[in-house]
Amino acid sequence: MGIIYVLGILIIGALAAFFVDDLNRKWTGPVAMLAGFGAAAAFAFLPGGIVRWRILGFSMHWETDALAGFFAWIVLGLSALALMYSVKYMEGKARQGYFYASFLTSVAGMFGVAVSKDLLSFFIFWEIMTWTSFLLAIYNAYYGVETKGIKYIIFSAIGAYAMLTAIVLALGQYHSLEFSDLMAAGAFRFSSGNWYIPVLLLLGFAVKAAVLPLHVWAPAVYPKTPMSFTAVFSGAMSKMGILGMLLILTGIFRSATGWELTLVRWVLGWLGGLTAAWATLQAIRQNDAKDLLAWSSVAQLGYIVTAVSTGTRLGLMAALYLALLHAAFKGSLFMVAGAVEKQAGTTDFRRISGLIKRMPWTFLTALIAIISLAGIPPLGGFVGKWLLYESLISETHAYFLVILIFFASTSAFLYSYRFLFGLFLGQEEEEAKQITEVSWWMLIPMLALSAVSVVTGMYPGLIFRPAARALESIGLPAGQWDMSILSNVWGNQTDVFTVGSTVGILFVLWALFITFKGKKNTRWLTTKEISTSGEIPAPEDNCTFQRGFFQPFERAVGRLYRSSMDQLWEDIGAALEAFFGFIRKIYTGNAQTYAMYVIIFVVLLILFRNYIF
Amino acid sequence: MTGNWLIELTGIVLTALLAFTVGMFYGGLRRKVIARAQNRVGPPVYQNFLDLLKLQGKTTNVTHGLMTHLAPVWVLVAAITALLFIPVLHGGLWFPNFTFKGDLIFLLYLMVMGSLGMALGVGETGNPNGAIGVSRGLSLITGYEIPFVLSLVAIMIQFHTTSLTDLMHYQQATGHWIARENPFAFLAALFSVLGMFHYSPFDIIGAPAELASGPMSEFGGKYLGSLMTGGSIFAFVKLVLITDLFLGGAGHPDAYTGAAGVLLGLVELVIKTFLLYMIPVSIGIVMPRFRTEQAVRFFWRWPLLFGALGIIWAVFWK
Amino acid sequence: MVVSPVHLIAAPLAAAFLIPLLNKLYRDAARVVPGVVFLYNLSVSWILVNRVFRSGPIVEVIAGWKPPFGINLVMTPFSAVLVMLVSFMAFVIWLYGFRFKRSLKGGVVMYYEILQMMMAAGSLGIILTGDLFNMFVFVEITGITAIALTAFYRDRDGAEAGFKYMLLGSMASVFLLLGILLIYTQTGSLNMAQIAERMPAVATGVKVTALIFLLISLGTEAEMFPLNGWAPDAYSQAPSPTSAAFAAVLGVAAIYALARVGFTLYDHGTVSGFLIAMGFLTMLFAEMAAITQTNLKRMLAYSSMGQMGLAMIAFGIGSEAALFGALFLIINHAIIKSLLFMTGSYFIYNLNDKRLRALNGIHKRLPYVSFLFALGALAIVGFPPFSGFWSKFYILTAAGAKQMMPLIIGILAVTVIEMTYYLRVIGRIYFAKEESEPASHKPSIQALVAMTSLAVLIIVLGLYPDLIAGFLHRASMFLLDKQTYIQTVLHLS
Repeated sequence: MGIIYVLGILIIGALAAFFVDDLNRKWTGPVAMLAGFGAAAAFAFLPGGIVRWRILGFSMHWETDALAGFFAWIVLGLSALALMYSVKYMEGKARQGYFYASFLTSVAGMFGVAVSKDLLSFFIFWEIMTWTSFLLAIYNAYYGVETKGIKYIIFSAIGAYAMLTAIVLALGQYHSLEFSDLMAAGAFRFSSGNWYIPVLLLLGFAVKAAVLPLHVWAPAVYPKTPMSFTAVFSGAMSKMGILGMLLILTGIFRSATGWELTLVRWVLGWLGGLTAAWATLQAIRQNDAKDLLAWSSVAQLGYIVTAVSTGTRLGLMAALYLALLHAAFKGSLFMVAGAVEKQAGTTDFRRISGLIKRMPWTFLTALIAIISLAGIPPLGGFVGKWLLYESLISETHAYFLVILIFFASTSAFLYSYRFLFGLFLGQEEEEAKQITEVSWWMLIPMLALSAVSVVTGMYPGLIFRPAARALESIGLPAGQWDMSILSNVWGNQTDVFTVGSTVGILFVLWALFITFKGKKNTRWLTTKEISTSGEIPAPEDNCTFQRGFFQPFERAVGRLYRSSMDQLWEDIGAALEAFFGFIRKIYTGNAQTYAMYVIIFVVLLILFRNYIF
Repeated sequence: MTGNWLIELTGIVLTALLAFTVGMFYGGLRRKVIARAQNRVGPPVYQNFLDLLKLQGKTTNVTHGLMTHLAPVWVLVAAITALLFIPVLHGGLWFPNFTFKGDLIFLLYLMVMGSLGMALGVGETGNPNGAIGVSRGLSLITGYEIPFVLSLVAIMIQFHTTSLTDLMHYQQATGHWIARENPFAFLAALFSVLGMFHYSPFDIIGAPAELASGPMSEFGGKYLGSLMTGGSIFAFVKLVLITDLFLGGAGHPDAYTGAAGVLLGLVELVIKTFLLYMIPVSIGIVMPRFRTEQAVRFFWRWPLLFGALGIIWAVFWK
Repeated sequence: MVVSPVHLIAAPLAAAFLIPLLNKLYRDAARVVPGVVFLYNLSVSWILVNRVFRSGPIVEVIAGWKPPFGINLVMTPFSAVLVMLVSFMAFVIWLYGFRFKRSLKGGVVMYYEILQMMMAAGSLGIILTGDLFNMFVFVEITGITAIALTAFYRDRDGAEAGFKYMLLGSMASVFLLLGILLIYTQTGSLNMAQIAERMPAVATGVKVTALIFLLISLGTEAEMFPLNGWAPDAYSQAPSPTSAAFAAVLGVAAIYALARVGFTLYDHGTVSGFLIAMGFLTMLFAEMAAITQTNLKRMLAYSSMGQMGLAMIAFGIGSEAALFGALFLIINHAIIKSLLFMTGSYFIYNLNDKRLRALNGIHKRLPYVSFLFALGALAIVGFPPFSGFWSKFYILTAAGAKQMMPLIIGILAVTVIEMTYYLRVIGRIYFAKEESEPASHKPSIQALVAMTSLAVLIIVLGLYPDLIAGFLHRASMFLLDKQTYIQTVLHLS
C-alpha cells in the first residue's frame, strides 16, 4: 500500500502546488517540498507491498522489491532534497505552480517506473515522466529553448515508441506483459528469434541514458531547465534508462556465457565507452558551467552503461553504485550551478570568477562533488571507478575498452578542474562584491548530498548491501561485500577505510603544521596582489585566465573536435523538414488537381483490382 | 591498523623519512649532474636540504587564500599516502605499512590527488600564469597517463593480479624482471615516467622562460618548502613504483635477513632508482621543449603504440 | 414512451423544416430549438442503446414495408455506440455554438442551425439505415449541408473551400450511385442484409468494381488519401462548431459507412490490405503536411485526416481488438478534436489571426482555454494518462498480435511527427512572448460548459476506460459477425 501513498502524496502535492500558487506565491515551494519529503517518508516508513489491478483487460503490477527500492530511493531522496533547494532557488519566479506541479508529477512518473513490474505500467509512467519533464524543459522562456525542448521530446519519443513497438510485439507473441513472465519465456534474449524486442527496448533506454549517438538532447536541454529540476533530471531520470537496461539484460546475464553476452559487452560496452570519451571531450570545451555539467552527465552515464554491459558481479555493482553516487554528486553540482546563477546571475566562466570567498559553502560542496566525480580517493566516486576497472580488467577482459574509459576518466580531470576554477577561483569580478552565500535552504541539500560522497568513500558497504540485495532480487550474482574493503576476482584488495583515515589524519596533521609554523609571519593577500612583473592589477582588471583555457588540449585532440553529432542530427532534421514541405505540396489547393487525383485513383484501382482485392 | 600501532607508526615515519632523504638527495644529485653537463661546478649534493631550511626559515610567507594555503598539504598527503601503499623492499625486510591494503588501480588515482590539490591552490592565487600552467599540466596528464595505464594493464593481465606485492613476489620468486617479461610495457612506462617528472622535453608547465615559472609563481617560504618536500617524496614514490613493477624491486629476504638484509636492500634500491632516475634527467639535459599539444600528441603515438603492443604481448604470453 | 430509431432522424429533420416558421413566433427560436431537439435525441439514443445492449439489435421498419423490400433502420451494438456518440457530440457542439455569432442577425443564424441539424440528421441516417440507396440519400443530405456550411461565411476563402468540397463531393456521389447501381443489378436488392447474403454469388469482376466505386465515394467523405483534398480547406474555412462537427459527426458517419461496406456487404479480408495501406498513406501524408502548417485550423484539419487514417488502419487490421481500438479511437477523436477546434477557435476569435505565430503567450489572456487546448493536444497525441493513449495502444496491440512490425513502426514514427507539432503549439501558447494584442472575448458560459465536459470525459476515460469497454467490445464483436446481422434483419421478414 505504500506505493499508493507515495504516488498519492505526489499527485495531490502537484495539484495543491498548482492551485496554491494562485492564492499565495510564497507557499507554492514549501507545499511542494512537503509533498516531496512526505513521499520519501511514506516510502521509508510504510511497507511497500504489491499493487495489482486490471485496466481495459491489461493487468498492472507494481511492487517494491529490492531493485525497485534501490532506484526509488535515488528518485525520492534526490527529489526531496531538490525540492527543498528549489524553494529558495525559484523564489520570486513566475508560474511556480506550473513548475512544481510538473516537477512532482515527473517524480511520480519516475517512482512509478521504478516500481513497475509489467511493461504497460512501465511505459505509462515512462511517458508521464517524459512529458512532464518536457514541460519543465521549456519553462525558461521559449525562444531558443523551443528547438532544444523539441529536440528532447523527439529523441525521447523515438526511444519511447521503440519501447512501445517492442511492448505490443511482445504482447502479441507472449500474451503477457509481466516482466517475470517475459523473462521466463526468454522474450528478452536475442536468441529467441524476436531479437528486435530487446533491441528496441534497449534503444528506448539508451535514449534516456543519453548513449551515443542519441545523446544530443541532454546537453541541449539540461542547461536550459531550471537547475533544481535538472538535478533530478540528470541525477534520477537518466537512471531509469539504466534500470530498464538492467531488467532487460538480466536474462542474458544469467546465462553468463554465449554469444549474446559477448554481443552485449561489445556493443553496449563500447557505446558506453565512446559516449564517455566523446562527452568528456565536449565538456572540456565548454565555457559555461551548466553546459559543462550537462556533457559531464552524459559522460558519467557512459561509464554506468559500460558497467551495466559487463553483466558481472563487479560490473553490475559498479553500475548500481555509480548510479547512486552520480545522482548524489551530479545533483549537488547542478545545485551549485543554480546557486551561482542565482547569486551572480550567470554561470559563464568568462563572466564570473573568484567566488570562493563569497560562497565558501557552495565551493565546499562543489569541491567534494568534483573530487567524487573525478574518482579520486578517498571519496565515494573512486569506489565506483575502481569496481568498473576491475570488472573490465579481471572479469570481461575488455582491455582496450579499459583504455578508452581511462582516457575519458583522465580527461575528466580537465573539466573537473575547470568547473571549480571557472566559478570559484581566479580573481574576483569587481561587480561581484555584493554576492553573498545562498540561504541555508539551498545549502543543506547540497551539503547532504556531499555527505553521501564522503561517507561512502570510507564505508561503501552502506551502498553495497542494498545494491547486492537489488541484484539478487532479479537473480543476478551479487556475492559477498565488505563494508570498507573492495576486492576483485583475483583477490586483490583495497581497503578504503584505511585510505580514508590515512588521508584524513595526514591532512589534519600537515594542515596544522603548515598553519601554525610561522603563523605570525604569514600574510593573507588578495588575488590581485600577484607577482606579475611588478605590475599590480587594478581593481577593475580581471586577469583570470578563462578564454581558451584548454587550448593546448583542444589542439592536441584537433580534428576530432570538428565533427559534431549534433550537426548530423540537425542536418537530418532539416532534410526531413524539407521533405515534409515537399510532401505537403501534394495538397496543391487546386480543386481540379484534387478531382484529377480521384480519377487517377479510380483508374489505378480498377486496373490493379485483382492484386489489391 | 591492527597489531602494535606503535610499530606501525614508526614504520610510517621511517618510510617517510627515507623517502624524504633519498628524494632530496636525488634532487641535489640532479642539479650536480646538470651542472657538470653544462661544464659548471654546480651546487653541493645536499643543496636541496639547505634550500628547504632557508625556505622554512623565511620571515614572510604569503598566501592568497585557504586553498593556496592547503595546496602543499594536499601534495604532501598524496605523496605520503601513496608511499605507504608501495612496498619499499621485498618481503618483510621493510615495514609493510599499507602495502596489502591497496592495489595498482587505487594508486593510479591516488597519484592524481596531489596534482589536483596543487592545481586548486594555484587557481586561487589569481595569477594567470599559474592558471595557464595548470591548464598545460592537466593537458599533459592526459598525455602521459595513457601509455602508463596501458603498460600497467598489460602487466595486470599478464600476471592476473592488480596487487603490487604480488608482482614483486613474482619477480623475486622467478628472478625475472618484468621489464624482460614484457619489454613493451616497460618502454611505455618509461616514456610515461619522462612525462611524470616534467623535465624536458615536457617541462612546458613550469618553464621559467615562458611562463614566469607557471604554477609555482605564487608559492614561497614555508609553502614552497612544503611543496619541495612533497615533491621529493613523490619523486621517490614514482621511482620506487617503477622499480618494483619492472626492475624486480629491491632486497632479497631469502638470501639476507636482518639489518644486513635491510641495508643491502636499501643499497640495491638506491642503485636501481638512481639509474632509473638518470634516464629522465639525462634526457632532460639535452632536449629542447615540446609545446603542450606536441607533447600530448607525442604520448599518443609511440608510447601508446608500445603500450598497446604490451597488452597484445601480455594476452599472447604463455 | 415508445421510441424508435426513426425518431433520431425524424426529429432534427422536422425541426429543421419547422424552424423558419417557429422563428416568426419567437426570434431566438433558431438558437434554442436545436438544443431541445438534440437533447431529445440524446435521451432517445440513450434509451435505445440500453435496449440494444440488453436485448439485441433493433430493426425498425419504415412505412410498413418489411425488409428486404422496404427501408429499414438497423441499430446494432456497433451503430448504437456511434449513434450515441453523434447525438452527444451534436448536443455539445450546439451548446458550444449557442452564443455563436451573437452579432449576426437572426436570419443568418437560422440558416446555420438548420444546416447543422440536417447534417446531424443525415449522419444519423447513414449510421442507422439498413438500405443502401437510403444511405445514398443520407450521404447526399449530409454532403450538401456540409458544403453549405463550409461556405457559410460568404467570403472568398469559404467559397473556394465550398467549391472544392462540392467538386469532390459530386464526384463521390456519382461513384456511389454507380456502385449502388452495379450492386443492384447483380444482387437484385437494395437492402444491406440481403446484399450481404447474396454477394458471394456475384461475379468477382463486377463485385470488385462496385467495391471500388463505393470505397472511392465513401472514402472521399472519410478523408482517405488521395481523395481528401477538400478537407483542409473545408475544416479551416467552416465556422468552428462546424469544423468540430466535421470531425465528430460527419467523420463518424463516413467511417461507419466504410466499415459497413467493408465488413458487412463485403468480406473483411477483401478490403483489409487496402484499408491498411490507404489508411497509412492518409495518415503519413496528412501528418507530414500538418507539421508544415502555419495556420492553426489547417493544422488541426490535417491532424483530423491523420486520425481518420489511423481509424482506417484499425478497421483494416480487423481483429476484434483492432475494432475495439478503432471504435475507441473514433470516440476519442470526436471528443478531443472537437475540443481542440472549440478552444482553437476562441484563440482565433480573440486574436483575429489564424496563424500559429499569433498564439504566442496567449495563455495569459485565456488561461483556462489554453489549459483545455493543451489537454486536448496531449490527449490526441496519445500521452498517458489521457484517453487517447488507450485507443492508440489498443490498435497497436492488435497489430502486435499479428506481428505487423513495419506497420507499428510506421504508425509510431508518424506519431512522433504529430507530437512535434502539437507540443510546439503548446510551447508557443505557454512560453513564447506575446506578439499580437488580443482582444478579450471570453468564452460564453455555454461554451465553457461544453468544453469542460469534453475535457472531463477525456480525463475520465483516460483513467477509467473500463467504463465503456464493455460496450465497445460487444460492438466490435457484432461488427465482425456478418451472419447475425443478416439474420436479424431478414428474420423479420
